[in-house]
Amino acid sequence: MALPESRLPDRSLPMPFDESPSPVAPLASSRLWTPGASGLLAVMIMVLIAVAQPQLAAWLLSGAVVVGFVTWLGSRRSGSTQISPIGEGEDGEATRFPASQALMDSVFEALNDPVMIISGGEADDIAGRRIVLANGAARDLLRIQREGSLLVSAVRDPNVLEAVDEALFGGISRTTDYAAAGARTRHWKAWVRPLPSATTGSLALLGLRDETDVRRMELMRVDFLANASHELRTPLASLSGFIETLKGHARDDAVARDRFLDIMATQAERMSRLVADLLSLSRIELNEHIPPSGRVDLPRAASDVLDAVSVLSHEKGISLVLDGARRAVIDGERDEIVQVIQNLIDNAIKYSPRDGTVEIAVETDLALDETMKARMEGATRLSLLTPDREVGARYVLVTVRDHGPGLAREHLPRLTERFYRVEGQKSGERAGTGLGLAIVKHIVNRHRGGLSVESAPGEGAIFSAFFPMAADRAESVELQ
Amino acid sequence: MNQHTVKAYGDELNQLTAEVARMGGLAEAQVADAVESVARRDIALARAVVGRDVKLDIMHRDIEKKAIRLIALRQPVASDLRKALSAMKLSVDLERTGDLAKNIAKRALSLAETEPMQPLTRSIERMGRLVSLRLRDVLDAYTASEIDRALSVWQSDDEVDEHYNALFRELLTYMMGDPRTISACTHLLFMAKNLERIGDHATNIAETIHYEITGDDMVGERPRWTPTPSDTAPGMGQMPLPTPDL
Repeated sequence: MALPESRLPDRSLPMPFDESPSPVAPLASSRLWTPGASGLLAVMIMVLIAVAQPQLAAWLLSGAVVVGFVTWLGSRRSGSTQISPIGEGEDGEATRFPASQALMDSVFEALNDPVMIISGGEADDIAGRRIVLANGAARDLLRIQREGSLLVSAVRDPNVLEAVDEALFGGISRTTDYAAAGARTRHWKAWVRPLPSATTGSLALLGLRDETDVRRMELMRVDFLANASHELRTPLASLSGFIETLKGHARDDAVARDRFLDIMATQAERMSRLVADLLSLSRIELNEHIPPSGRVDLPRAASDVLDAVSVLSHEKGISLVLDGARRAVIDGERDEIVQVIQNLIDNAIKYSPRDGTVEIAVETDLALDETMKARMEGATRLSLLTPDREVGARYVLVTVRDHGPGLAREHLPRLTERFYRVEGQKSGERAGTGLGLAIVKHIVNRHRGGLSVESAPGEGAIFSAFFPMAADRAESVELQ
Repeated sequence: MNQHTVKAYGDELNQLTAEVARMGGLAEAQVADAVESVARRDIALARAVVGRDVKLDIMHRDIEKKAIRLIALRQPVASDLRKALSAMKLSVDLERTGDLAKNIAKRALSLAETEPMQPLTRSIERMGRLVSLRLRDVLDAYTASEIDRALSVWQSDDEVDEHYNALFRELLTYMMGDPRTISACTHLLFMAKNLERIGDHATNIAETIHYEITGDDMVGERPRWTPTPSDTAPGMGQMPLPTPDL
């Protein structure tokens, strides 16, 4: 993954003019400056003087021989020691590479996985384990404010701490699992390697590798099988029951046959709806850890949904009212946001009495606490999903209110559970699959938003979903 | 962090905070592992949780000793005194949390001998995740000295209570439907109760953090669930009291 341009320091890569001495000047390894060249020069001068002053020639020539011999010895020795790690080429090009600390720093900084260097201190002093160096990914993940902060304040997991201790004081490399709980639990593989330390005290390298997707796939397979098989069994049992009856004594009864076929068609339709919902849920779950790309104007998406459900609402004589902000842009996948609004409105219509109203409102630029405030008097409010707290985040809120029978408080915590249906409530002829709100929750979670419900029996219910506002407001105005 | 003329004093205070954070990490892992051992019917994991509880007890005693030593030798005042005191208080809460987690793991062992009860253990798992999240948030608040985070944990304790009450009803329905499940359901009921109490300990920790940073008690009433007549479903008899102060 490429880092955004702005994250890199302005001039992290060495420019030719940063080098000192300038690359234009003769290099230290150039022929002109080798001891051999200077020796040769001295010998030539001595020979010239000897030619001019013949009486000193014997002395000068023997001097020249000595200088020449010493120079030859010197150049031989220095030649044999000139083996540097990244082979200094004849043109001196490669000598720049090991010198550029800035490049190594930015490579470390740009690493995709969180990596930290930990210093040891005393073996029995837990406060001695400090993070001396951490790259950008590590600082973001573990909220490390400054270098030199305590390791335990960033990572508390006992297994990781143990592995770090073993690396620091036992010199043992180890790998261990590490789960960071949160609105979206992430599973990491933590690896620790002892480092050779230049100064006193020991050092260790701690890195984390994301393994969430692998775990998620495993869990989902198990879950999907359990849920789907259980839920599909009921309509399937009724289908096979009716088929048996039709094969048997109802074969010649035209009235009963038509009735049974109608029931079978309903059951088959229910099964296909269930399968469609399950597939869409599993698709959303797979993408839950990938932040959405694209932008959505929430009021516009809501009015599109209103158009789509108008047929259904006309049938029941329900009027839909949309008000609030005219424009509120969020980062999101349009199809998924539409599905959230659609599911919420579908539910509201389902539970509304004939000739009732369903009110949809969009509020924009709210702080997290403002999205949490009660909107219905005397009602129970429960947060079904709370996003991780982020400093300065602003949210766009969409609320859907119906005036139906409302929900008893004991049902509220379980609403987003898969296949949970409130007992004793008739959701009309278009029976739900019990997956609608589960889908809503997963979509909202993917968008790093929140979901809450308020309800009082007899008063109806308000479902509110909120999403983080698009980061760049200027751009979002231009969008339209 | 600590501007002390005696460097060793500052080091000792730092060390105390670090030890509490480490103990918190262990307690957190105990709760998460205990819940996972229930969800996955993992006997080995449950045994490991039971075995690891001793470590928490040792850490608890160690922190207490260090805090007492610090108070006796350095005679801290103001924020330093509060820091030492809250380290002691936190270690008590965390030790209790560990005990409750151990109890859950023990019950997981007996539960593994019965038939799997997928929907119920799933509810326990969900509640366990919520409680773990509370614990994580409050410990994050402690290590970063973030008062807002602590406050938000303190205010949202009723969510755990709601989960507990929903689970209670679910279990009652199961037991009434099939008396053979009573013994397993009772274990699950106690697990839910233990989780609910762990949530209470997280709230206590939030209060201690507030005290450590500001020197004041939390003011105002914590949002609480009060039973209304309509909440008592017919035929279910007496509903549980929401949050017994244990």
